[in-house]
Amino acid sequence: MPFGASLGVSNLVGIVLVSHSRELARGLADLASQVAGDGVKVEPAGGGPGGSLGTSGDAVREAIARADSGEGVVVLADLGSSILTVRHLLEGKVNGHVRLVDAPFVEGAVAAAVMSSAGQSLEDVAKAAEDARGASKF
Amino acid sequence: MPASSESTVTLPAGVALHARPAATFVKTALRFRSRVTVGADGKLADAKSILAVLALGAQGGSVLQLSAEGEDAPAALDALTSCVSGLIE
Repeated sequence: MPFGASLGVSNLVGIVLVSHSRELARGLADLASQVAGDGVKVEPAGGGPGGSLGTSGDAVREAIARADSGEGVVVLADLGSSILTVRHLLEGKVNGHVRLVDAPFVEGAVAAAVMSSAGQSLEDVAKAAEDARGASKF
Repeated sequence: MPASSESTVTLPAGVALHARPAATFVKTALRFRSRVTVGADGKLADAKSILAVLALGAQGGSVLQLSAEGEDAPAALDALTSCVSGLIE
């Protein structure tokens, strides 16, 4: 049950945002965590070595470790090779604790962060991100 | 025993149902098992979906129609009514 989560007494599902752009990942992490409120860990993993446009498996691995409070981690990625970077990293570790979701980056991140902050399960947080695909903006 | 309840509540003046206020509202709805919807200006949203609630675009001072269906419907509406009345920017 989600009761108690709003009291900050239980661990929450972590969110990792993988982007080719360091600024995009950081900006979206700020937006999602400010909308959702304190408590949920939204960790950016953006950019390649030296701040170039690209993705880094090491950066993603570190972001997952920071985001993980024991309830699982939902990973969203922006485009193309960022998906491959995450998949490569998760190969051979398919225990369901870290879930790469097929979701729109901005809407999915905000939906996932709010669900997580309400103390919902990994399954529900992942579903909220994926359901964001069908959401109208107005 | 499933029950359904409805009520209306007015958003405080100057507080639109966006970003943080919307998240506060959705998190309140998520505490309950009941299915909860919120209507504004002829549009209807799942009160447990932040994206749906944001898409309502409800402005400060507008009237929200709340509807809940389920065993804890009355409690859900009580909590959401208090939540909306107490929202701040």
